[in-house]
Amino acid sequence: MARTNPRTSSFSRNLSSAPSSQSPGLKCGPNGTVVVSSGIPDLDKILGGGFPLGSLVMVMEDAEAPHHMLLLRNFMSQGLVHNQPLLYASPSKDPRGFLGTLPSPASSKDDKSRDREPEQEKGLRIAWQYKKYFGENQNNFDGNRDCSHQYCNDFDLRKPLERQFLSGQHVDCVSIQDSPNLDTIRDRCATFLNKLSRNDGSITSAGRIAIQSFCAPQCKYSNMEWDMLSFIRFLKSMIQSANAIAVLTFPPSLLSPSFSKRLQHMADTLLSVRAIPDEDKDMAKLLTGYQDMVGLLNVHKVARINTQVPLILEATTFSIKLQKHRFLVLECLNQAPVDGSSGTSYSKSSSCSGSSKTGTLDF
Amino acid sequence: MAESICRTLRNGRLEGEHAAALTIKDTIASPFGFDVFNHVLSQLSSFILAGKSQSRGVVVVAFTRSPSFYVDLLKRRGIDVDASKKWIRILDCYTDPVGWKDMLIECGSLSQEASTTARLCKDVRDLDKMCSSIVELGNGLIGQVKGHFSVAIDSVSVMLRHASMTSIADLLNNLRGHDQVSSIFWLLHSELHEVRVTAVLEYMSSMVASLEPLNCSANGQRSELERVSLLGPKGKFHVRLKRRNGRVRVMYEEFYLEHSGINFTSLSSEDGLVYQGLVPKVQFNLQLSEKERDDRAKVVLPFEHQGIGKPIQIYDGRKSLTESVNEATAVSTETLQTAGDSSNGEIIYFRDSDDEMPDSDEDPDDDLDI
Amino acid sequence: MEQKGSSWDVVEQALGLGQMEEEGLPWALGVVLIEDRVETDASFLLHQLLKRSLSSNPSNTIIFLAFSHPFSHYDRILRKLGCNLVVHRENNRLVFLDMRLLQCPDGDEGKTRESGLVALYGKIRKTIHALPDDKKNFVIIMIDDVSLMEVAANGSLDHILDFLHYCHTLTAEFKCSLVMLNHEDIYSNMERPTFILDMEYLADVLIKAEPLVTGLATDVHGQLMVLTNKICHGQGSSRNKKHNFHFRVKENRVEYFYPGSRT
Repeated sequence: MARTNPRTSSFSRNLSSAPSSQSPGLKCGPNGTVVVSSGIPDLDKILGGGFPLGSLVMVMEDAEAPHHMLLLRNFMSQGLVHNQPLLYASPSKDPRGFLGTLPSPASSKDDKSRDREPEQEKGLRIAWQYKKYFGENQNNFDGNRDCSHQYCNDFDLRKPLERQFLSGQHVDCVSIQDSPNLDTIRDRCATFLNKLSRNDGSITSAGRIAIQSFCAPQCKYSNMEWDMLSFIRFLKSMIQSANAIAVLTFPPSLLSPSFSKRLQHMADTLLSVRAIPDEDKDMAKLLTGYQDMVGLLNVHKVARINTQVPLILEATTFSIKLQKHRFLVLECLNQAPVDGSSGTSYSKSSSCSGSSKTGTLDF
Repeated sequence: MAESICRTLRNGRLEGEHAAALTIKDTIASPFGFDVFNHVLSQLSSFILAGKSQSRGVVVVAFTRSPSFYVDLLKRRGIDVDASKKWIRILDCYTDPVGWKDMLIECGSLSQEASTTARLCKDVRDLDKMCSSIVELGNGLIGQVKGHFSVAIDSVSVMLRHASMTSIADLLNNLRGHDQVSSIFWLLHSELHEVRVTAVLEYMSSMVASLEPLNCSANGQRSELERVSLLGPKGKFHVRLKRRNGRVRVMYEEFYLEHSGINFTSLSSEDGLVYQGLVPKVQFNLQLSEKERDDRAKVVLPFEHQGIGKPIQIYDGRKSLTESVNEATAVSTETLQTAGDSSNGEIIYFRDSDDEMPDSDEDPDDDLDI
Repeated sequence: MEQKGSSWDVVEQALGLGQMEEEGLPWALGVVLIEDRVETDASFLLHQLLKRSLSSNPSNTIIFLAFSHPFSHYDRILRKLGCNLVVHRENNRLVFLDMRLLQCPDGDEGKTRESGLVALYGKIRKTIHALPDDKKNFVIIMIDDVSLMEVAANGSLDHILDFLHYCHTLTAEFKCSLVMLNHEDIYSNMERPTFILDMEYLADVLIKAEPLVTGLATDVHGQLMVLTNKICHGQGSSRNKKHNFHFRVKENRVEYFYPGSRT
């Protein structure tokens, strides 16, 4: 019976070419999933392609730093660039105003080349024997990058998204601040997702739901723990049967530990962001590139849809950097010069076949 | 000592007193309370069958196991179950404690089976009804004759989930005070409840048997893995027995589980410790007897100068605070050192090799040239 | 195939499955509680038990209450393990109840609140009753996430415990087994984690999955502790045994090994 397994996995790989040709925003991930881009090229690489459709991504906020907004913005912009329907909910009076802060994709070619640089730099650290593998991987990766040219854009955080993307009918905004319970957002999500229900194989578009600061204290329901949990449970099961992906951020420090754990268990992909201390001399000594860092990103859990194998990353903590004050870049924390493998971990996880791990584990 | 609990339960109550009551409590670190419960139940059952006990029957209030489980259990322990109809009744709070099955029967989906020894209780929240059921079952056992019966409740913890502490305390008290009840015992998972609940139940019982893991980690912190009994099916069995004369007997035993049941071995080494908790904090006796005073006077204390009349010349290793004394001590150290030089040779010690640990088993001094 | 057998064997032995099967007995596991954490997902154990029970004894019937994932998810995983759930479902050997949308109404009346769970219990019971007599004792009920069940019941833990108790009565009545997964770390911060303790008292077998102290690694995905506290069947008893394994999850199997036994 074990013999049949390679076939199933190759079956899923074959599938992978099909939808990507249809729409630029979708790509085939491992195990027959379809992934969409997070809007951050590095994060896509870390997660093995992007966020799988039908999964719930949760971002644990830092109480002191708004890095979750960076993730949300890129996630939303990427969807709009791909003309994907978007539902945005936030605990503010005017959620639509937030759309004005979304970044725009960087257009010029030379901008693209700049994020290649650090990787080549890392390439130099690799022993020459392995260089050929690395080169291969990179070629692969480049190929991927080229064929899905628009799968994932680099976003220029300084340039606001052009109006044309926002004006479409498919952008929906909800304020979750004033509603006394979760019925409103629940209904909005339901109507939004009903349009996207998964009927048969052909997936043309994917919806994105972005919910910011779900358990924010200003929300009137924020002391109704079980209601919030059952909303998320409802959302999760709706998404599972729709061509959609939801990103939800929440502040764990404001929640009771057990409630926060429950939320974490419900997430398919679980990330957290953390602030880093300003002008910390020790840290500057300890970490390379401390000056460019704005925060840290932790990957706690990677979606495990249609598979039981966990994706074990070589590193789970990444630094969030703003390159040229414009581009969001994630890098492995380089604590010591010994840790030269960070570059490979990217390229490894970026190859999107389900069995990618088995090969690398042998040594 | 588990034996003595069973004996006390067997002896039952004295006229005009409450029935003997036993709390068996365990924790998740040593979750074998149920095995002790079964042990006590089967011991008591064999006493009853042999006609040795005050009670002539037992009513088991079954919350966590089915009635058939208890019948099987007693059968396995070699107790005559054919005669069971005469001496055991089971109030079945297990099969349908909150009436769900009943609800489904109304929907017409299920059928129900009847039994002779067991009676079904469909609403465990109604403790008044439960109490009268227990008494009815008990009276059914002993017939018209004036006699006694015992009650066994296999989990007060489950009861506490359905009813309030006060109502349960009320039930237990009513049972203990009931003329026909000779003894009563129940099982409690203490970690599931507030400390107060455990205290209440211990207050209401004449014996408390608690199960503890063998090596209790002192600070009470529980690593996740240690939380569950890692130490195997063993533990400490700790009994506090409130005796009629007002004394409390505290006993420790060790138990270990076997397939056939639970076994107890006495734990002699602990004897000294046993009574510590019970001894009240007495005040110091400040008065000494004549002899004691004499003896004390004779003792030469180590810090006293043992020569006769000479000034004290022992360097205490500390610098005195005042300047004047400082000089004097400096002198005394000098004399001490010269004395030391004359009597002692020089010690030169080469370690055999670097691998040898200074604290190795062999005496590092035995090859010294002193 | 050889390897596959041998690595699962250690857990199997710990549970005494092989022995029960040899004697043609049902899996008298009683209540099996699997506990995991955010860092270490133990759902692979459900997959393994599911696969094992469907492929080993043709009399086994599984009633699967899915709270966290849809059928397609399990189908794909089990297919990689060499087990076709669709076929088993058609043959009525797998009764897959998708509970993802179960929500017990939060009415003011106490009755309605538990009615969803009562109905669910009724469904399970009816399923077992509908089986032919010779298969009634070979039922395994699986719950893939008890914590989500709590959410479905709006946090009324008592009703969940009642439900689990009624499932327990089924194990007594029909000798069937109940396998359930819950997340330990949800409760570990509570001062008195009554619910998980209640479940642990209920369980005959406790399996805990934890990450290694050193964190996740590519070749060891975590450690398992199997505690067969109260399990007893037949003459040979595996009572009160504790086993520790390391594991590594792969698509087509899970490797178990004793700590330190791998090179």
